[in-house]
Amino acid sequence: MGSHPPSSRTALEPLATLDPAALAGLPPSSPLTVRAAALSGHLLYLGTGGGKLLLFSLHDEEAASPDFLRLLPIGATLPVSAIIPLPSVARILVLAQGILLLADPLLSRPVRRLGSLRNVSAVAAHATADPSSPSCSVAVAVGKKLLRVDLELRDGDELDVQTREIAAPVDDVKALAWVGDSVFVATAMGYSLFSSGDGQGVDIFTVPESSDQPRVKPLSGGEEVMLLVDNVGVVVGTFGQPVGSSLVFNTTPHCIAEVFPYVVVAGDSKVDVYRRRNGAHLQTIPFARSGPGVLIVASDDDGRGKELLVIATAYKRNYLACQVFCYRKVSAVEQIKASLRRKNYKEAISLLEEFETDGEISKDMISFVHAQLGFLLFFDLRFEDAVNHFLLSETLQPSEIFPFIMRDPNRWSDLVPRKRYWGLHPPPKPLEEVIDDGLVTIQQALFLKKAGVDTVVDEDFLSNPPSRADLLELAIRNIIRFLCASRMKNLSFPEMEGVDTLLMYLYRALDLVDDMEKLASSQNSCIVDELESLLDDSGHLRTLAFLYGSKGMCSKALAIWRVLARNYGAGLWKDLSENGSDEISIDKKSSEGIAAIEASKILKTSSDEELILEHLGWIADIDQELAIAVLTSDMRGKQLSPEKVIASVDSEKVVIHQRYLQWLIEDQSCDDSHYHTSYALLLAQSAMKAVHMEAKYGGKDDKEIDSDVQFIYSLRDRLQLFLQASDLYDPEEVLDVIAESELWLEKAILYRKMGQENIVLQILALKLEDSEAAEQYCAEIGRDDAYIQLLGLYLDPQNGKEPMFTAAVRLLHNHGKSLDPLQVLEVLLLHQY
Amino acid sequence: MAANAGNKIRNAKLVLLGDVGTGKSSLVLRFVKGQFVEFQESTIGAAFFSQTLAVNDETVKFEIWDTAGQERYHSLAPMYYRGAAAAIVVYDITNAASFTKAKKWVQELQAQGNPNTIMALAGNKADLLEARQVTADEAKAYAQENGLFFMETSAKTAINVNDVFYEIAKKLLQGQQVQNPQGGMVLNQRPTERTVSASSCCS
Ligand SMILES: Nc1nc2c(ncn2[C@@H]2O[C@H](COP(=O)(O)OP(=O)(O)O)[C@@H](O)[C@H]2O)c(=O)[nH]1
Ligand SMILES: [Mg+2]
Repeated sequence: MGSHPPSSRTALEPLATLDPAALAGLPPSSPLTVRAAALSGHLLYLGTGGGKLLLFSLHDEEAASPDFLRLLPIGATLPVSAIIPLPSVARILVLAQGILLLADPLLSRPVRRLGSLRNVSAVAAHATADPSSPSCSVAVAVGKKLLRVDLELRDGDELDVQTREIAAPVDDVKALAWVGDSVFVATAMGYSLFSSGDGQGVDIFTVPESSDQPRVKPLSGGEEVMLLVDNVGVVVGTFGQPVGSSLVFNTTPHCIAEVFPYVVVAGDSKVDVYRRRNGAHLQTIPFARSGPGVLIVASDDDGRGKELLVIATAYKRNYLACQVFCYRKVSAVEQIKASLRRKNYKEAISLLEEFETDGEISKDMISFVHAQLGFLLFFDLRFEDAVNHFLLSETLQPSEIFPFIMRDPNRWSDLVPRKRYWGLHPPPKPLEEVIDDGLVTIQQALFLKKAGVDTVVDEDFLSNPPSRADLLELAIRNIIRFLCASRMKNLSFPEMEGVDTLLMYLYRALDLVDDMEKLASSQNSCIVDELESLLDDSGHLRTLAFLYGSKGMCSKALAIWRVLARNYGAGLWKDLSENGSDEISIDKKSSEGIAAIEASKILKTSSDEELILEHLGWIADIDQELAIAVLTSDMRGKQLSPEKVIASVDSEKVVIHQRYLQWLIEDQSCDDSHYHTSYALLLAQSAMKAVHMEAKYGGKDDKEIDSDVQFIYSLRDRLQLFLQASDLYDPEEVLDVIAESELWLEKAILYRKMGQENIVLQILALKLEDSEAAEQYCAEIGRDDAYIQLLGLYLDPQNGKEPMFTAAVRLLHNHGKSLDPLQVLEVLLLHQY
Repeated sequence: MAANAGNKIRNAKLVLLGDVGTGKSSLVLRFVKGQFVEFQESTIGAAFFSQTLAVNDETVKFEIWDTAGQERYHSLAPMYYRGAAAAIVVYDITNAASFTKAKKWVQELQAQGNPNTIMALAGNKADLLEARQVTADEAKAYAQENGLFFMETSAKTAINVNDVFYEIAKKLLQGQQVQNPQGGMVLNQRPTERTVSASSCCS
């Protein structure tokens, strides 16, 4: 935002021109010299050097020429120097030849003098008076005095006038302004302010020597005052404190008006328009100078919303040149539109920022302009900028972008709102066409440039023409950015579907596999129908599987995972990397593993028994743990039938069977004796196999043995615990399996279950030689004869074993007292002791 | 800003004074925008900037008045330094006359300004060593005598620029010399309005 004007800027536009003398029907022989002008609403007052007041009515509509309403002579010797409309008391205050006059707003009655003041050098109305109250105040400088005159409108159009002195002595006052409680006074020395309440005065600053006439101008609807020094406007607040940077005008102002947000300055032969906020020069309205004199500018000071400015040429000598030009503020929207029409994006954007900070444009319109900018930039192939603006628009609907991605008609065609914007760009069409057309335009521009013709095509493109492929990728990446951001918004369901589906579509176009899979596997609104065959064709099977999975299309998802696992397994991917076979196997394994993991994720929540059992096999082939997790998942609504599971799981996969049964029994409290028996059998078989293996390969590395032993122990522990805990299995069947083995403790447990006390005791006492356990068992049986039996076993272990006297003595020592001595004797005798 | 949500932002009016061409605008541009332009346009009237600076866990919002320095507009200066919490008087180390002018500004501030204003003396264009006319020792001695704090700066190379402002912010926070943003004009007779005008000072 430099201080150099874009020459094309039109902040104010001409509305009408009037020749006051001609309109008022004055003969050319009585020339008019405009000395003062004022606007009040649509009423324009002019005051002349010859003591005339003229009133015109302006029209807002273009081409409607102003109407002449009235001419009121106040006296040929009273040249008018200021006109101040006082709408709240229905008066016009006129300063002429040092006296104050009051007129009615329509100049229908003769003027009356206000008081008997003479030599009034300056007058100013209170800028912030409440417009609804029928009173107002003016500050008046008379001689060395500063007065306030309070006017109040009474019934019957009577005016009550009170005059009070604010301060004295005050030097030769040149200009006044009254803002808030402060009356700003400009003298040849400098600026000061006086409190309108108690008259206390403070100097603000003195002006340098030989500076022009000092001027004060209230700004921003009476919150600030501009004090002029040479061509510099120092803006101060109501307490005289500086507010904001000084405005620097390119001429010495003769007259200043504010048409918010602009400050309009009249010089000798031109009127300049500046932006109030930063002092930037915006526009120059030149006038052909036809004699000595100045230009007068006037706006309706009372309101911020007022749009009109009048410029009166007060050149003397040639009365024909005395003309009045009416200008109207060009709305923010029109100004922006004008720069967009010229494709001056930079200007449009800075205008937008400017109007935004000045509060001259609504929020919706800001969004509208961003969207409009986005479309224009898009068609100019400036995709990144375009999307930046799309994203700044709060009203742009994502569906408006869909036609760039997918050719019409499509599933979302009806969703796209038919917004016309400013008709500066064609309707959206597929990206490729936008790019092709844009490239043709660039070609043409290059050709024209060679021929020396200027075009609006981006210089960058001309000096470095882009390739089609680069543009396409850039466009897609940026639309992706847009769609990703749109996903975060609250969209209607169909629009969300469009966003996600088209996002996938674009990811695919750039083969952004990671993004595709991330989108497909997370919660998304993709329409599967639209993507299925595309993804299949391009081989994005994983994405498709994820998509099916996230959409609950389990069997389709699983079918793909199975195919993928098989393909990886079959080494179909081997050719992907030639070197480093390790890598391949890791890759292969992990890819397979991922397929199995993904499939198992789906199956864990599925209650579809057939589907689960159909896929369990291949998953188990890759990873038994996954298969087990599938079977034992508690995330499904309906449990699987154990019968079917057991029947369908490959009987070779003992671990799966075993873990499944364990889960059924331990976690699901299944009390079907059949499964208890199966579980016991499986555990027994495993334990036997382990013991067997150990016996066969035992005695390798110490550490290895340790862990092997540990493993066997834990297996046997589990088996023993189960055999003891469950009453539901068939001990005989189990016994059959372990009959030939060395699993004596297990056998003891089983016999015990079967009530074969004698065998139990034999095992405990003789096989395991655990006399403590044997005695314990006798205690459990709780009959004396059990001890007697045990004693018999100790004394005659058979199979050529020596009698176990120590154990026998211990038994007698511990339990002898409670045993029937006769029976003890009998045993001893039986064994011939 | 969001990070500072918890603590107060203190407003501090700061004014730059010194001869034309000593680099006042360049120092501000460097501090506020981190830029330097070889052909800085001459300031007319005064330019206003604001910039926040975090010191430990406090934030100072500087309201910076960059004055013109032309003799013709000397009479405007009091409006800008009146009520200032801090002033940076700038001279050009390659220009002895600008140092003399700087001393005049210091005197004026001592005589007319607020006694609590924190004053810094900045010897700018420290990158132009070969053209030096004012020695650092001389300036340092002067600063010490007058209770100013002194640094040689270069808006061009950024040397010591942020440091000057940071140092001022620190001193402000130590002395709690922070005051309302519009407290330019002192009108003893109207205390009520002054409070009203200060009401927007803190967030
Ligand atoms: N070499 C050098 N030049 C500088 C430095 N600071 C400012 N200038 C130049 O000095 C000239 C005047 O600077 P300016 O900021 O306008 O001074 P001001 O009148 O005090 O605001 C400009 O041409 C600047 O580029 C500096 O630190 N080193
Ligand atoms: Mg400057």
